[in-house]
Amino acid sequence: MTRLQTTELIIDVPGRDDGRPLSLNIEPGQVWGVLGPNGAGKTTLMHTLAGLRAPRSGEVLLDGQPLLALKRRQIARHLGLVFQERQDGFPATVLETALIGRHPFLSSWQMESADDLALARRALTRLDVAHLADRLVSTLSGGERQRVAIATVLTQSPAIWLADEPTNHLDLHHQIAVMELLTEEAVNGRAVFMCLHDLNLAARWCNHVLLLYPDGEACWGPAQQMLVPEALESLYGQRLATTELDGAPVFVPVR
Amino acid sequence: MPSKLIKHALVALLLVATLPARAEVCATDDIGEQVCLPSPAQRIAGLSPGASELLWSAGAGDQVVAVVAWSDYPPEAKTVPSVGSHTRLDLEKLVSLRPDLVIAWVTGNPQEQISTIRALGIPVFSIEPRDFDAVSSVIERLATLAGTEEQGWAEAERFRRGMAELSARYSQRAPVPVFYQVWDEPLMTVNDQHLIGKVITLCGGRNVFGELPRLVPRIGDEAVLEANPEAILAGGMGEENRDWLTRWEQYSSLSATRAGNLFFVPPSLIQRPTPRMLQGSELFCEKLEIARGRR
Amino acid sequence: MRGYWLPLTLLAVAAAMSFLLSVTVGSASVAPADVWAVLTGQGTELQRTLILELRVPRTLAALATGGLLAVAGALMQVLLRNPLADPYVLGLSGGAAVGALLAMLAGLGGLVVSGSAFAGAMIATVLVFGLAHGTGSWTPSRLLLTGVVVAAGWGAIITLMLAISPAQRLPGMLYWLMGDLSYAGTPWLAITVLVVACLLVLPLGRSLNVLARGPMQAAALGVAVRPLEWGIYVVASLLTAVAVTTAGSIGFVGLVVPHMLRLVLGNDQRLILPACALAGGILLVLADTLARTIIAPEQLPVGVITALLGVPTFLLLLYRSR
Repeated sequence: MTRLQTTELIIDVPGRDDGRPLSLNIEPGQVWGVLGPNGAGKTTLMHTLAGLRAPRSGEVLLDGQPLLALKRRQIARHLGLVFQERQDGFPATVLETALIGRHPFLSSWQMESADDLALARRALTRLDVAHLADRLVSTLSGGERQRVAIATVLTQSPAIWLADEPTNHLDLHHQIAVMELLTEEAVNGRAVFMCLHDLNLAARWCNHVLLLYPDGEACWGPAQQMLVPEALESLYGQRLATTELDGAPVFVPVR
Repeated sequence: MPSKLIKHALVALLLVATLPARAEVCATDDIGEQVCLPSPAQRIAGLSPGASELLWSAGAGDQVVAVVAWSDYPPEAKTVPSVGSHTRLDLEKLVSLRPDLVIAWVTGNPQEQISTIRALGIPVFSIEPRDFDAVSSVIERLATLAGTEEQGWAEAERFRRGMAELSARYSQRAPVPVFYQVWDEPLMTVNDQHLIGKVITLCGGRNVFGELPRLVPRIGDEAVLEANPEAILAGGMGEENRDWLTRWEQYSSLSATRAGNLFFVPPSLIQRPTPRMLQGSELFCEKLEIARGRR
Repeated sequence: MRGYWLPLTLLAVAAAMSFLLSVTVGSASVAPADVWAVLTGQGTELQRTLILELRVPRTLAALATGGLLAVAGALMQVLLRNPLADPYVLGLSGGAAVGALLAMLAGLGGLVVSGSAFAGAMIATVLVFGLAHGTGSWTPSRLLLTGVVVAAGWGAIITLMLAISPAQRLPGMLYWLMGDLSYAGTPWLAITVLVVACLLVLPLGRSLNVLARGPMQAAALGVAVRPLEWGIYVVASLLTAVAVTTAGSIGFVGLVVPHMLRLVLGNDQRLILPACALAGGILLVLADTLARTIIAPEQLPVGVITALLGVPTFLLLLYRSR
């Protein structure tokens, strides 16, 4: 059971005051949604939690160990990150792309085994891109690429999922499918921590919410306590109408 | 209208030329241009090391006011101001030395710069001696233009006679297959059209690469091994440097190596189309004679 | 896993065949039967000299040098994530050329030229390394920019040296700059370095695959990006330095061979790197064989042939890959 914690963490957003230090406790089974307007530092937070970026102060702990003291390979065995932006560089097929999720688990001379291949194919099927396995990633649509990226992390099978806007570019059906998938991962004992732009997806699927304000202010807690209209209206500077549907709150922006 | 003018000018020139009191001198250069000077040149520029050397041979050394880089013979040439390299002339410097005759190298100087010199009104005499007769002939013509006929014609005759004697003595001797190494890295030789190729023939040698189309072909060790010359002659990067020959000592299958016919010839004696070639050719012929003696 | 052995076996067979072709033909004619006789320890003295002392070492040098350049090119392309990168893009050949030309200008030959070229290459490497590192912020684009500018500086120095050199030294210098295997003395350094580098780099193949997708993605998947990048830089530089030292700066092999292989074999570095070692060698052996024989006994600079062979092949592959 792997946990990700932060102690008095201040992320390094250039030109911004420190704001409120984050002391988060991301536990197995939890689904976190990070909400905030553009420029609030959501992506910076994701990268800091993954150890790709040094914090201004404070620490990120993976099972009690400071992230920066761990080897990248060790981190990658427990923690996966779905990037918001990705570069293609050299051409690669969909299957090859999913397979690199096994990288942290293979030694230098080791080739991917049949098990690894099966894992990757299962992940592609799960994300509804198995039929594209031999296509070059560069020839796919934005939504298809997004699903391939998620399939890569699914192949990596991390105990902690960090996902930077995993529903980007996805059509409605696939948005729901991805949220279902992440929830299922949490039910299976993993922790999910994702940035979202869609309040209603957060309201429906997340049990914990972190609100990030552009000035560095932040608050976090169980979803029901966080997702109150006043807090959200001040977060986005946007008036909202609220209703309830299917047991979850629904927020609609109004003029 | 212009043709009429030219006609008048020609008539006038002819008249002038026939006047005995005037010291006008004329000579035809190696691109067929007739160069006439109102009086023998007193300030001459030699635009190649060979041209300078020929000017001294023609007895005009005292009149040379400009040379180019690497003009090292005779030693006095080194004391004359240089106007750059033969491939890139410093025209400002050249003009400021006020030459009244420029000796250009047909294939060695940039055409554009030579045209500029002509356009500035400085007489240009272009030379390119490609055989032994041409060396003598150039010396004679330069002597004419410099007004040093007495000395120049004697030197030309000395060279002509010397080469003829060598030819009479050696050219009909038993042929010796010869490889001449003009450069080391990359390995380069000469063909029969090259002046050095002609020295080989003169001495009764047979240039194993004489038939190649290029004047200075680049070849490989393999070709030399197959051609299997009886004698190898080489220059070097200095006047007493046999380094280039050691390359061949490792090949015991070579006739030249087995017979010990690896000869050094000081490159300065044979590289330039000047009277020093007589000395170089004598050496060359002697080496081939040594090779014949070892048969 | 999926079919690494078939392409590598085919390439190894092709390498062996190009080797045999190269030792069989030359300006001197030796019948194939005689070549075989020499290789099995017989033949006349002349044949033995031609084959064993001239063609075999030169062919081995070509095989190794081509491999060095192609592997170095493939590594540079991954390092800089730029398909236009080649082993010389960071100015390494410029530094080597300045070293070699200085030695030639001083009238020195053989080993001194090689040693001086190697020193020049190493100076260029350290210079670009130091400048790109600067105050600590380091990115492939900064490395590329530094390298390209430094390379332009070397180019200017080379032109200067050519301009002030005596005419008789020019052919040697120009041939060196165009790349020429007649300078290759013994092939063993190149072969050893190629084999050692392949053993060092092959285990990194999968990490390089991940790195090719960008440093952030690579780090997220457990790659220690910075050490890997510096490692590649050092290895690629060393390979290039040895290649340039062996045969001058032969162009084109390092740029085109990796691309040709990627078009045909895909982009798995575990396959591409050993394939580059073989295919680069094959291309250079064939090019050198042509350079030695087209207008024999005259010799052409091999760099001309690599480009003449490589350009159409590459364009054809590119055209058909769409």
